[in-house]
Amino acid sequence: MKAALSELAEQYELALEDYLASAGEAALEGAYRVGRRALADALGVMELSAIHREALGRVLRDCRTTEECARTAAAATGFFAESLAPYEMALRGFRESSEQLRLANEALEQRRSELAAANKELEAFTYSVSHDLRAPLRHVDGFSKLLLEECSEGLPEEAHRYLTEVREGTRRMGQMVDDLLKLTRLGRSELSVQLTGLNSLLKEVLHDLKPELEGRQIEWRLSQLPFVECDPALMKQVLANLLSNALKFTRLQERTVIEVGMTTQDGSPVIFVRDNGVGFSMKYADKLFGVFQRLHRPEDFEGTGVGLATVQRIVHKHGGRVWAEAELNKGATFYFTLGQPERQGMENNSKAGGAV
Amino acid sequence: MTRDEIEILLVEDSPEDVELTLHALRREKLANRIEVARDGEEALNFLFCRGPYAGRRFEDAPRLVLLDLKLPKVDGMEVLRAVKGDLRTKAIPVVILTASREERDLVNGYHLGANGYIQKPVDFDNFRNVVKQLGLYWLVVNEPPPPRAFQPR
Repeated sequence: MKAALSELAEQYELALEDYLASAGEAALEGAYRVGRRALADALGVMELSAIHREALGRVLRDCRTTEECARTAAAATGFFAESLAPYEMALRGFRESSEQLRLANEALEQRRSELAAANKELEAFTYSVSHDLRAPLRHVDGFSKLLLEECSEGLPEEAHRYLTEVREGTRRMGQMVDDLLKLTRLGRSELSVQLTGLNSLLKEVLHDLKPELEGRQIEWRLSQLPFVECDPALMKQVLANLLSNALKFTRLQERTVIEVGMTTQDGSPVIFVRDNGVGFSMKYADKLFGVFQRLHRPEDFEGTGVGLATVQRIVHKHGGRVWAEAELNKGATFYFTLGQPERQGMENNSKAGGAV
Repeated sequence: MTRDEIEILLVEDSPEDVELTLHALRREKLANRIEVARDGEEALNFLFCRGPYAGRRFEDAPRLVLLDLKLPKVDGMEVLRAVKGDLRTKAIPVVILTASREERDLVNGYHLGANGYIQKPVDFDNFRNVVKQLGLYWLVVNEPPPPRAFQPR
């Protein structure tokens, strides 16, 4: 550093002398060169000014008259000012880019709040549509039931079947609307995060699923699961949805094997639920988590196609990732990780931080 | 309570819902005297013995009010606020019967003193079952407030 400084001082003095001797525009190039180098060496203006003073002292020694001294000093000051030009340029550039950064940040913030507003609006819209859809559904179901009950005498056999289909349709749509409502509620709810043992959650889920286990031969392979920071009610729903899927899609298997376990990826825990059921073709893996997306025919496996969308939403809310691996007729494995959960009131905090 | 007093006030703006609810109530033979208010204003007139109901007396309060939330003119929450905010009507059991299951509505409803909150099931059999249980509980099982409960102290 010290060597670089004295080298620069030497270069400065030479360039100054060169300039004083020629005093031409071309010689100013020397001032810029020194300035650029000082800037590149991260030298401050004060340090460059110290170099200038020393160099000035030396060139003034050669002056014979007072006028010559004054003239040289004035010219040298001009040279020094020019050597600072790269600093000015850099400063201007810095100002410009920080202004650009500010504008970009503003635009980003604007987009973010627009997006948040649009999301809110969309959720409110879905919610009110779902509510308003329920009313006519209730009426279709109610009046077709009354028709069946009170006017059945004059109705031909076919009409009974048609009306039953009408009611089945309303029942299905009612289920879809309810599931959609649950999903939008999930989007709006705040996480209530606490350290939770996944083993005990799993136990609760298996207990709740008892009615579905009735009359089935299932080999459970359960390993130790970790304690994680999560919203226990929502995490229970994730496990419940994944396990009830596993049960559903192994129904046709002679011997059902369901495994719940943990592996690690980049040092973070990955929870998985594996079954030996009908699986699916990986060709459609990207559709798996979409709302109302189903990879099986409703007459084979019932469902509205909201379960995995719910799982994904909960996992994402926890800052995690969910994915699946499967092979047709060989079974499926669903994996999920948990990252940093969305903290309650986080938005408020960040706003306060921005204002300071 | 005299024989011809209203047992249930049904506050409901949808004619289809009115018909289905009345059908369900009548089938169970739980209530014969049901008054229907088609908006919040009508409900308040009835409950506060005003306008066309000026001849009613506060102590002849209905045994149960079934209250929809989305109503023309005065909405269900406003009706609930008025009823539960006045000693002459405060003791009347009010059960919210609505399409919404929004948390905000549940919180507001209970904060304002609702005696129950039920989301109308889509399935008519379930709906009938809900109406039957409501009628059974509030008109048969529950001990109604005595006339003194409707006097301002």
